[in-house]
Amino acid sequence: MIQLLKIELYKIFKRPRTYISFGIITAIVLVIQLAMLSDGKSFLGFVMSGVNEQFDIQGNVLNGYLVTYIILQSLLIHIPLLVALVAGDALAGEAAGGTLRLLLTKPISRAKLVLMKFTSSFIYTVLLIIWLAIVGLFGSLLLFGPGDMINLKSDAFVMLLQHDVMWRYMMAFLFATLAMTTIASLALLLSAFADNSIGPIVSTMGIVVVITILSNLELPLFDKIKPFLFTTHMIGWKGFFDDPVPYGAIGFSALVMFLYTVVFLAATIFYFNKKDIKS
Amino acid sequence: MRKLLGIWVVCMLVATSGIKAGEADKLFYALRTKVLTVKDYTADVRMKIDINRMKIPQLKGTLFFKSPNKMRLERHGGLSILPKKNINLTLSNLMPAGNVTVIDAGSAVIDGKKVRIIKVIPEDDMGQIILSKLWIDEANMLILKTETTSRNDGTIAMDLTFGKYASYALPDHVTITMDVKDYKLPKGITMDYNDTPPPPPKDPKEKKPKTQKGTIQINYLSYTINKGIPDAKFADKE
Repeated sequence: MIQLLKIELYKIFKRPRTYISFGIITAIVLVIQLAMLSDGKSFLGFVMSGVNEQFDIQGNVLNGYLVTYIILQSLLIHIPLLVALVAGDALAGEAAGGTLRLLLTKPISRAKLVLMKFTSSFIYTVLLIIWLAIVGLFGSLLLFGPGDMINLKSDAFVMLLQHDVMWRYMMAFLFATLAMTTIASLALLLSAFADNSIGPIVSTMGIVVVITILSNLELPLFDKIKPFLFTTHMIGWKGFFDDPVPYGAIGFSALVMFLYTVVFLAATIFYFNKKDIKS
Repeated sequence: MRKLLGIWVVCMLVATSGIKAGEADKLFYALRTKVLTVKDYTADVRMKIDINRMKIPQLKGTLFFKSPNKMRLERHGGLSILPKKNINLTLSNLMPAGNVTVIDAGSAVIDGKKVRIIKVIPEDDMGQIILSKLWIDEANMLILKTETTSRNDGTIAMDLTFGKYASYALPDHVTITMDVKDYKLPKGITMDYNDTPPPPPKDPKEKKPKTQKGTIQINYLSYTINKGIPDAKFADKE
């Protein structure tokens, strides 16, 4: 099993495109950090205009913790694409390269192979989130310094003391890992259906984009289906920046995403076990 | 005879109220003089801001005040939040300056203490304060409660508790109640995580209040009084 996992990880990390994801994350984070360094005050002025009208807030508002929050808010919409780049290629890439049939001649079950593909995609996802934490959180703290964090919600203003923020970020990154694992399992499922990599990657993004739009549309028509869409729960990491932390809601969101992951993975194993491998 | 008695009663009432108004005048000016003896102070404070839709933890810091209207909270590297009002939230600033008309409004009891109530109307029409109502502990010459109606900031009420700095009319604990406007940001910017089910649709006829009451509680742990604070301390800093 370990040997198989090592081989799968080797396959992932020998491809240059794997590192493109890390490069993209670094580039986006740097762009946001530079934008905040040069024009962050006017951005904050706009976002906090409602509060600034009535309150005089002094101190380092634009600190590393707030900048990281802005980065995560912008980036966690795009990371699914980067996860899909690898997970969507896991089975379909082998089929496209003509190596899948050869791989299945080895004495391993198809279920084990799917599980190893999933585990290697999961490890890649974890590394991607760790990298995001390094360049996003620690990079922003270096550039902007620490401080009390302000979390602006549409109808509330939450202030968190500096010593009370770091654990929230750790939990948020943990939650983001779960959310991205759900995306990885979806991409792996679509990868099992296809014989080329582009289809699963594009389909995964298509599904994520469409249901993200449904999750964010403030229309009563969608209110009933929203709780069942995993994209509704993917932003559950934000709950850790509320006071008090809505552990019940976050737990429910985590459970929904875990169930989606299990269902996607089970469906992948079920389909792949029956699939007629022709290449 | 009845007419004469009536005229006498009216004269007595006018005379008594005149005396009372005179006493109230003296009381107010004496109190204002006492309050204004504090030109500046630095105080270690603990502040709790309790305003609907604002979740702010208890803030510890140093509050700087310089007469007549400079105030700043410093939090040793942390963020400081103070209400942006045209009049700041100190006793000296909530008492009208200049010539005033003082009206005796009777008496009441606060925490078992008999207090005199006076209403103070500034003669200056252009000032921020329209009317101040003060609850005064005459025995100790302290203001235990104020209710100030301002031109732009609504009504600001202040409940004060005094301790070892009573001789300077500086409180140990103050609860400020004031009007706060509601605010909203587009969800497209914030992308909120909805941890509660959406509220039922509201009746469009139902008018939403534009302002709400908020309270700020300040515990003054210690004061350094009249030692001089440079104006630069109150300049806007990032």
